[in-house]
Amino acid sequence: MFEATNELGNLVLSTGGTLTDPNAAAALAVGLAALGAGYAERGIGSAAVGAMAEDDDLFVNGLILTVLPETIVILALVVVFIV
Amino acid sequence: MSAAGSPNPEYVVARVRARRGSLFGDEEYRKLTRMGPAEIARFMEESTYGEEVNALGSRHGGVDLIEYALNRNLAEQFDAILDWSEGSLYDLIARYLRKFDAWNVKTVIRGVYTDAEQSAVEVDLIRAGEFDDRRIRRLLEADSIDGVIEVLEDTIYGEPLREAYAEFEETDVLVPLENAVDRAFYERLLSGLGGDEPTRQYESFLKAEVDFRNATNALRLARSGADIDPAAYFIEGGDLFTRSSLARLAQNLDELVEYIGDSQYGEELGPALRELEEADSLIAFEHAIDAALLAYGDRLGTIHPVSVTPVISYILAKERETENIRAIARGKEAGLSPDEIESELVIT
Repeated sequence: MFEATNELGNLVLSTGGTLTDPNAAAALAVGLAALGAGYAERGIGSAAVGAMAEDDDLFVNGLILTVLPETIVILALVVVFIV
Repeated sequence: MSAAGSPNPEYVVARVRARRGSLFGDEEYRKLTRMGPAEIARFMEESTYGEEVNALGSRHGGVDLIEYALNRNLAEQFDAILDWSEGSLYDLIARYLRKFDAWNVKTVIRGVYTDAEQSAVEVDLIRAGEFDDRRIRRLLEADSIDGVIEVLEDTIYGEPLREAYAEFEETDVLVPLENAVDRAFYERLLSGLGGDEPTRQYESFLKAEVDFRNATNALRLARSGADIDPAAYFIEGGDLFTRSSLARLAQNLDELVEYIGDSQYGEELGPALRELEEADSLIAFEHAIDAALLAYGDRLGTIHPVSVTPVISYILAKERETENIRAIARGKEAGLSPDEIESELVIT
């Protein structure tokens, strides 16, 4: 996968240099952060649903913990405003 | 309930951990040892066993009610765990739970052998393994051992049982059949385990269990002095013994005790071994083995929090709980004092 990313980067750089455009790079950064957050929420979400199935009172805690990785995306959004 | 898809340890572990919280602790056991069978049943009715006690309450009473409620609860809980798990997680858990299949097969064979009533055999089954209700029904309906083997033809027990059947016909004792079932289970238990770190931990736990089983068998043989070939009871897969070393050590109790004391389990089993030498009591040793396995399981559950190990650790703890409650109820029935019963319990 990493080799593919490298090649993609090289290709983009050599053809038009789209990635050197700050806006495009920022968009990519936010996108990757969202992907990471989504992956983290996958595990937490299924654990939270499991805990809720055993005990309904855990709904609030489960919900909060499930969306915690979302903060990564919000932090990444800061990049958009900086560039 | 399938071996397809990707493993989902997060979900299963979260549910199992929640259930672990509702297992009985020291306090509850202390209360239970001071109750009579009827009170124990009432106490269970108000705990996680409520549903089963209510369902069986009209048909059974006293210690039988407790016993059957425990079996049914165990089966339901373990079936649920298999139900939740997917992919490789399912495979790893099913490996261990197949021991209930082995138990059921042995119970049915014994039932057929002694001409027991079908309903009497049925209540002793623990439907926690992989066999579905249809197969169990067919097993119960079989009226000869040959018929039982026929029902199991397409399972892992079919072939070994078929081979052992000839020996059974010659000698008319059940030992070859029961050994065949056990061996089929243990062979399957350790074959083709995957390679990641939690799975290796799980494997070493399974090996410890095989070692302990071999050790108890050897100790029993060595103490009874019976003229039985220990190698016939040997279970493959453990680290501690080989077929020949077990056969040699079972001849001499002192050597065997020394050998176990020097092994990697020596530290945990040390006090129990000394007691065995002094008081000549196997019961204490068997309890120590159970306690060591349980402690091993507890530790196992915390090293890799999101893997198969916490699930197995819960399964062990739950099994132990039902055995403890059963011991309390049976002890009460036999008129033992609370202190004597407490010494029978395995609590970590």
